[in-house]
Amino acid sequence: MIRYIAKRTLVMIPVSLAVSMIVFFIIQLPPGDFISGYAAKMSASGEVMDAQALAKLRENYGLDRPWYTQYFSWIWGILTSGDFGYSLSYNRPVSEIIGQYMGITVIISLATMIFTYVVAIPIGILSAVKKYSFFDYFATGVGFLGMATPNFLFAIILMFLSFQWWGDPMLGLFSPEFADAPWTAAKWMDLLKHMIIPVIVIGTSNTCELIRVMRGQMLDEMSKPHIVTARAKGLPEWKILLKYSMRAAVNPVISTIGWSLTTIFTGSTITAIVLNLPTQGPIMHRALLSQDMYLAGSWLLLMAIFTLIGTLLSDILLAWLDPRIRLDRKEA
Amino acid sequence: MRQKLSLIGLVVLLMLSTLTACMGGDSGTAGNNSTVESQQTDNTTATAEAATAQIPDIKSAAELTSFQEAPMLAELVQAGTLEPVEARMPVKEDIMIEPVYEEIGKYGGEWNFPWNGPDDKWGIGMATEEAMFRFTEDGSGVEPNVAKGYDVNADSTEFTIYLREGMRWSDGVPFTADDVVFYWEHMLIPETFSKALYDCYYSVDPVTGEKARADVTKVDDYTVKVTFKHPNVMFLERLAIDNKWFFAPAHYYKTVLPEFIGEQKALEVAKEYGFEDLNTLGMWTGYYYWLYPQRPTLRAWVAKNDMNSDRFIMERNPYFFKVDAAGNQLPYMDRIVLTKMQDPSHKLLETMAGKIEITTFGFTDFTVLKENEQKGDYRVIQWTTPSWSSTGVQLNQTTEDPKLRELFQDIRFREALSVAVDRREISEMITNGLGEPIQASVPEGLPNEQAGWAQQWAEYDTARAEQLLDDIGLKWDAERKFRTFADGSNLTLTIYQEDTADDPRFIELLRKYYQAVGIRTDVKIVDQGSYFDLKYANKIPVSVKSVNIVSLSYRPDELVPLRVITPWFGHYGLFTSSGGKEGVKPEGDVAKILELWDKVKGSKTREEVQEWTDEIVKLHQKNQWVIGYSGPTPVLVVAKNNLRNVPSLVFSDEFRGIGHAHPAQFFLK
Repeated sequence: MIRYIAKRTLVMIPVSLAVSMIVFFIIQLPPGDFISGYAAKMSASGEVMDAQALAKLRENYGLDRPWYTQYFSWIWGILTSGDFGYSLSYNRPVSEIIGQYMGITVIISLATMIFTYVVAIPIGILSAVKKYSFFDYFATGVGFLGMATPNFLFAIILMFLSFQWWGDPMLGLFSPEFADAPWTAAKWMDLLKHMIIPVIVIGTSNTCELIRVMRGQMLDEMSKPHIVTARAKGLPEWKILLKYSMRAAVNPVISTIGWSLTTIFTGSTITAIVLNLPTQGPIMHRALLSQDMYLAGSWLLLMAIFTLIGTLLSDILLAWLDPRIRLDRKEA
Repeated sequence: MRQKLSLIGLVVLLMLSTLTACMGGDSGTAGNNSTVESQQTDNTTATAEAATAQIPDIKSAAELTSFQEAPMLAELVQAGTLEPVEARMPVKEDIMIEPVYEEIGKYGGEWNFPWNGPDDKWGIGMATEEAMFRFTEDGSGVEPNVAKGYDVNADSTEFTIYLREGMRWSDGVPFTADDVVFYWEHMLIPETFSKALYDCYYSVDPVTGEKARADVTKVDDYTVKVTFKHPNVMFLERLAIDNKWFFAPAHYYKTVLPEFIGEQKALEVAKEYGFEDLNTLGMWTGYYYWLYPQRPTLRAWVAKNDMNSDRFIMERNPYFFKVDAAGNQLPYMDRIVLTKMQDPSHKLLETMAGKIEITTFGFTDFTVLKENEQKGDYRVIQWTTPSWSSTGVQLNQTTEDPKLRELFQDIRFREALSVAVDRREISEMITNGLGEPIQASVPEGLPNEQAGWAQQWAEYDTARAEQLLDDIGLKWDAERKFRTFADGSNLTLTIYQEDTADDPRFIELLRKYYQAVGIRTDVKIVDQGSYFDLKYANKIPVSVKSVNIVSLSYRPDELVPLRVITPWFGHYGLFTSSGGKEGVKPEGDVAKILELWDKVKGSKTREEVQEWTDEIVKLHQKNQWVIGYSGPTPVLVVAKNNLRNVPSLVFSDEFRGIGHAHPAQFFLK
């Protein structure tokens, strides 16, 4: 097992390096660079930007060098000193910007994840147990609606309702009176109030998938011979459900849990923009648009690494949870 | 396999985010280029008249017997951490009295100010700006602001600027003539903040056209003198545009600039601020200085925290040099809270929810704002804009394709494109009838207005357009659907549309009209940055921009090809700015404009300036390089009903947008 993990970890190094290079290259593919976008914005607000000023800016930011030179100095900084470079649009080190938004991002993502599992797993099980009942159809219907409605649209609808009923679209995460206040109970309540919309919106998109997976797995498991045997033995139904069928049915859920690692750290993008959430997603979105390549590049690199780690974690978790897989591997 | 998948996934994600970004662009931020005619709400002026009775009639602060300050500052004075208000302001007779628009206000409250982060620095920069000289309310000239007064000698070569005795920076350090001379010697001349020395500091030899740099000297602690070799009649007005802040805190820069503390130490300071190199440090602290809490300013509100925070806060400056006529130190409002909004629609939503004290919108949001006026408890005040048109088209006179260039330079072609469009329909469909169906021209009431220009080529007449196109010698293709060049080759006008700024509905309508007279068009949608690059590279043949200036003599570059900026003169501008090394040599009337501009620069009197600028504008009228299909539309200033002292003025970059209303005297009732 340890050998396996070590091997997988080693393979991750060249993969993330390759990803970082591709990413850096792609970010620079669109015409223009960070300065042209910046200059356009500034001249739109009345600032004089002539050719000299542009050349000087490019020189200051090192944008006059070819992309591979920029790439190598960037990746060298990461490898040797953990320095992720310097964000052109924020004029600050990349690590500082990522740090600023990490807390809120992780809180929202975790809350959303918990919401998803808490809602989806019981509904999935119930749908399987009460197959083709009204509840099953209803849960499935709502779930599909949630999945089929684009997140941002759902967010807009909820914002509209909130605006209509309470006169407040609930943008952001805090009411102004709490924004700079210390963390009191009232502030937490305010945060929770503002988190309802994002958590529901981001959560519902995955809920349906999870419900369906749970339901399908449960149905498969519930008709297996060992369940029939258990039932024949006279075990109470809830015990059969939780101890035998569910344990086997959560496998696919566990095997994908590692993949959410990326989502936890990046948060959603479009929804966060619509709801004006101060999370990582919108920051990265803007970095990509403005070709702020050190910020965007660092982000994508981190995402790639998280994805790799997540996959590895899933595999390990699965092996730990399911003896069948463990045994399989031993035989092989 | 999984690694491969995740890799592909990443690339897809990247593409998706770029794609969504491209789609999410057009949520109406008309802001700068939207505009209009004076059909303003008169209610503000009415209330102003009613209230004037209560405003003490005082011209100089010397007549005031006592001064009051905000409660938050009074507390500090009580606690002994701050000097009393009289000691913080300039000597009594040098305190500036800021006239209020409606009534004497009261202290307190916050101004919630939506912005999209530091990229939006100019919005808050303009709103809080304190210029050496600022434009008067009607914009006809300048008045002293930070300066106490000025003297000009008879031939406009010597400008003596008087400062306010006892005035202080926001950190309490005295503001003197040394700060002006320091700014000139150590920041402007060495280009510390990456900007070439402003054009207003050069005078022009009327005979040779040679430029000579000004000299700035200290006379005494509160007097500086700017001396020119040749007359520079418009210096103060142009200073009020080019270099509003003609001063910098010497004591602060002596702790930051490498010149004083050495490269090594300066680099450490730069790192502390988060910068990588010294140039960026110089540029941001020198040019965008109002965003840094460390940097003292003279503004009514000063930065309190990091501008990258979700809420960037500016708080009242205890040393601010203005009072109202009752002796209350301004500003009235305690703080400006800048909340980051990721999308322009958030600003609209928050405004409709009544959460924003005052902000501005383009006219496209007029209906939705009006509908929610009651619910949001705000009022919509229309400000006029000095724009030549709200919709129109510009043909690049120096476009690369020689056949197109010849066609664009043909005045008959421009007339044909002008009369081929039904302006009334454009006015109704695009501007809700707010923009009149007229030609691009100097708006009523602005300098250089020309009688009858608005009606030039403004009649919808396709027969006339056909006739003109025939005269030019444009042939029809085989199906008689589109026109071709005389030699039968394909004629297509490629319109470049900037994804965030240009109105796609207007462009579609325009294409319909052009097609009706046989002109084939093609649209390319590009982002702001690419548009900027393409313009520099002379790759944009047709654009739909308009011209937006208060007065040619204040800011010539949109009408005189001095550099690459306005699309119609394309690389003529590059020719001038590169001193003839690059670009396209101006000929004919364009060359004449440049000659006339030199005469404006060399003028000895205001009358001369007026005369020569009129000549330039007349050439514009004759040639109509900028074609307009509807008149200017208003900018909407949306203010909460309890926010008072908001006038209705002209909204322009020259006058600093909302800053022209002097936000220090806004207050919450």
